[in-house]
Amino acid sequence: MFDILSLLDITFFLLAALGALVGIIFGAIPGMTATMAVAVCLPLTYALGLNHGLALLLGLYVGGISGGMVPAVLLNIPGTPSSITTTFDGYPMAQKGEGERALRVSVVASVVGGLISAAILFLFAPLLAEFSIKFSYVEKFLIILLALTVIASMSRNMLVGIFSGVLGIWLSLIGTYSISDGGNGKTRLMFDFLEPYLFEGFSLLPVLIGIFGIATILLEAEEGVKSGLAGKNITFGKGGGFSFTIFKGRLTNLVRSSFIGTFVGMLPGVGGSAASVLAYTQEKNLSRDSSEMGKGAPQGLMASESANNALTGGALIPLLSLGIPGDSTTAVLIGAFTLQGIQVGPLFIPENADTWYVMMTALVFANIVMFFLMFYAIKHIAKVVLVPKYILYPIIVMMCVVGAYAINYGIMFDVWTLLIFGVLGYLIQKVGLEVAPLIIGFILGGQAEVYFVKSLESAGSYAIFFTKSPIAVVLWLLIAASVAFSVMMGLKSRARRRLETSS
Amino acid sequence: MSMPSIYKTLGTSVLMAGMAFGSAAAMAADGPLRGNVRVVIGSTSTGGDTYQNSSIVADALAEHLDINMKVDAVGASSAFRFLDRDPRGNTLMIFHDQSYLGYLYGVEGYEDIFEKYTIGPTVAINPGNAYLVPKDSPYQTLNDVIEAVGNGEEVRVAIQPGGVSEIGFSALKNAIAIEHPGMEDNLVAVNTGSQADKNQQLFDDQADLINGTVQANEQYTRLPEDDQKAMRFLWLTARQDTIEQAPEEGLGQTSREQLLEYVEPNVNVTMGDDNFTFDKEFFFLYNKDMDQAIVDQIDQALSEIYAEGEIQETQKNSFFIPNFKPSDEAVEYLETKMSVYEDIIANIQ
Repeated sequence: MFDILSLLDITFFLLAALGALVGIIFGAIPGMTATMAVAVCLPLTYALGLNHGLALLLGLYVGGISGGMVPAVLLNIPGTPSSITTTFDGYPMAQKGEGERALRVSVVASVVGGLISAAILFLFAPLLAEFSIKFSYVEKFLIILLALTVIASMSRNMLVGIFSGVLGIWLSLIGTYSISDGGNGKTRLMFDFLEPYLFEGFSLLPVLIGIFGIATILLEAEEGVKSGLAGKNITFGKGGGFSFTIFKGRLTNLVRSSFIGTFVGMLPGVGGSAASVLAYTQEKNLSRDSSEMGKGAPQGLMASESANNALTGGALIPLLSLGIPGDSTTAVLIGAFTLQGIQVGPLFIPENADTWYVMMTALVFANIVMFFLMFYAIKHIAKVVLVPKYILYPIIVMMCVVGAYAINYGIMFDVWTLLIFGVLGYLIQKVGLEVAPLIIGFILGGQAEVYFVKSLESAGSYAIFFTKSPIAVVLWLLIAASVAFSVMMGLKSRARRRLETSS
Repeated sequence: MSMPSIYKTLGTSVLMAGMAFGSAAAMAADGPLRGNVRVVIGSTSTGGDTYQNSSIVADALAEHLDINMKVDAVGASSAFRFLDRDPRGNTLMIFHDQSYLGYLYGVEGYEDIFEKYTIGPTVAINPGNAYLVPKDSPYQTLNDVIEAVGNGEEVRVAIQPGGVSEIGFSALKNAIAIEHPGMEDNLVAVNTGSQADKNQQLFDDQADLINGTVQANEQYTRLPEDDQKAMRFLWLTARQDTIEQAPEEGLGQTSREQLLEYVEPNVNVTMGDDNFTFDKEFFFLYNKDMDQAIVDQIDQALSEIYAEGEIQETQKNSFFIPNFKPSDEAVEYLETKMSVYEDIIANIQ
C-alpha cells in the first residue's frame, strides 16, 4: 500500500487538476470533445510516464465530459454529444434567467454521478464485466430501443415527434453499409456524386452543433440585430437562486441516473449519448411530477448530467477488466497503455494493482477538482450570456466551424455538414418538426440497425428478441412501460387541451 | 474575463506558440522533407498496433531529421484521401497488409496501392495475428478443426471481413478445399467488427473459432477453464522465423517457447506446395507525385536509424519484430506477397 503512496506526488495531482481544467475548456467549446482532448494529449504520456500520463488523461476525460454542460445550458449547443439532454431543460432555464442556477445544479449532479460511478468501478469492476458480457446483440438492441422510446414521451405532438425521430434514423443510415455490420459494403441512401463525401455518413458532432448551434443562431438572426442580451433578466450573486434544497427529494433521481450512466458506460458499443437519453427517459417516466420536464425543470438536468458523468467510471469497467473500451474516449485512453507496453485484459487489475489504485485516485481527485473549478467559476462563466449577441454569435459560429473541421482531423465536408444541418435545423423548426426527437433518432439509429441485423443474422428468427434471455424479457417490460406511459401522458395532455379550448 | 475573451486569448496564444515553434522547426531541417509532416494511418484506433508502431517510427524519424511529425489515426479511407491530395510530401501514410488485402477482397474505398501510390520502406512486423478457441473446446489443434470440417462438421469462425482478419480464414478454407475437396463450405465465416465483438461471439457460443491477437487475447488464455471468458490459442499465422525473433519472455506470461507451438511446423495450413503463413507488416505509402528526393531521404534516414539499433529495442519491447526494407526492396517483396494471397482468395471463390 505504501508503494502506491510513493507514486502519488505533487506532480501527479497537479496533472490531474490541469487535465480537469483543460478538459472543461475542451468540453465547453462546441465541437471539441473529451475524446479530442484525450487524443491530443495522448503522445504526452510517452514523456510523462504511465502514472502521470494517466492522471492527466483521466483529468481530461472527467473535465471534458463535464464541460459540455456549459454551452448546453447557456447557448442550447451540446458541448459534447452526451450533454444533448442537458439542453432540454438547461436552455429553457437559461432563457428564464436561471442559467447560473441551472449550471450549479448540473455541476452538483455531475460530481455525484462521477463519484458514484467511481465507487462502483472500484468495488465491482470484475463482477460487472462478467455481467456486461451477458449483453449480446439482442440485449444491446433492446437497450437502444428503450432509449428510443424517449422520442414518444418528449415530443410535443406525438405523431410529429415520431415522424421526426424516424427522419433522424433515416439520416443516420446514410453512408457505407459495412460488411461487418451485416451489410453489403456499398454506399446507400445517396447520389453517386456524393460518394466521396458521404462514404462514412454524416459525422455526429457537426450534425449536432449544426442542428442545435447554427440553427439557433439562424433563428435569432431572423429577428434582426438588436442590442439586446442573450439572456434577459439574470439573477447574479447569491448563487443565482441556487440552494442545495433543490436536491431535496431528488436523491432517487440522482442515484438512478448515476447507475444508468455507469451501466450504459460499461456496455461496449452502446454510445455514451444513450446514457443521458436513457436516464432522462426514466426520470420522465418514473418521477411523479415530470410534466415540467423539457420546459426548464432542474430534475431533467440532474438526470442528464449525473448520467453522463457516471459514464466515466462505467466505461472504464470493461476497459480495465476485459481490455475493451466502453466508449469512444476510453478507446483513445487505451492507447496510453499500449504506448507503454501494458496489456489491458481480464488480468489487468490483479497484475497491475499499483496502476489500478493510481487510476482510482486520479479519477476521484479529478472529479473533486472539476467540482470546485466549475462550482466557483460558474458566476463568471454564466456571464457569457451578457455578451451582446452580435458579438457572441459570430464567435460561436467560428468555434463551431473550427471544431467541425478538426473533429475528424481536417475534413472540409464536416464543415459543410455543419452548415447543411444548421439550415436543415432551421427549416424543420419552421415547418413544425421537432429537433430533439430527430437528433435522438440520428444518434441511436445506426446502432439500432447494426444490433437488429446482427441479432437476426446470428439467430435467423424474430423470436430471438423475446426468448434470448431473462435480461431481454426485463428490457421488453421496460420498453412496454415506457411506451404505455407516453401514450397515457399524450392522452392526458390532449384531454387537458380539449378542456382548455372548450372552456 | 468572459468566456469568449478567454477563448480568444487562449486561441491566440496557442496559435502564436504554434507559429513560432513551427517556423523554428522548419528552419532547422535542411533536406527535402521539412517543416511539419503529418503521418496518417489506416486505422482509427489509437490503442491499436498501427498507431503504436507508427508512433515509434515517426518519433525516431522526427528526431533524426529534426522535423515535426504527428501521427493521426484517421482510418483507411480518409488516410488514402489525405494522401491523394498532398504530393508535397507533408502527408505520409503508414499502414499494413490491409492496404492491398482490402483491394483483393473488393472492399469499397480500396484501390491497387501498387498502381496508385509509391510504396515506401517496410518497418516492422506484428507477429500477433492469431486464431483462438474457448478453453473447453473439443478442438485441441488446428488440425482437429480441419479434420472436423472435412468430416462434415460445421465450424463457425468469427472474423472481420475484408482484410487481415479474413486472410487466415481464407487460407484455412483453401487448405480444407485441398485436403477435403467439397467440404470447405462447412467452414463458415461469422462476420463481425471489433475484437470485442469477436470475443463476444465466443462468449455467446455463436462462434467456435475466432480471429484475435496475441496482444489482445493473451490474458484470456490464462483464465481458469471454468471461466466463460477463457480461451486457448490454436494458431499464429506468423512465420516460425518471425516468432523466433520475438523477445524470449514473449508477451505477458506466455513465453516465446509457448508461442512457437502455434506456428509451423507444429501447425500446418497447406496451400498445395507450400504452407500458408502471414506476417502483418507495416510500411510507408506515398503520394505517387511526391518528390523522389523525399523517398530517398526517408530510406536513408531509416537505414541510419536502424543501423544505430535503438529502434529495434523499442519495437521488440512492444512486441513488434523489426523488419526494415528500403523502398525498392519493399515494393518487390510486397508485390510477391500480394500475389500469393491473390491466388488463395481466387481459389476459394
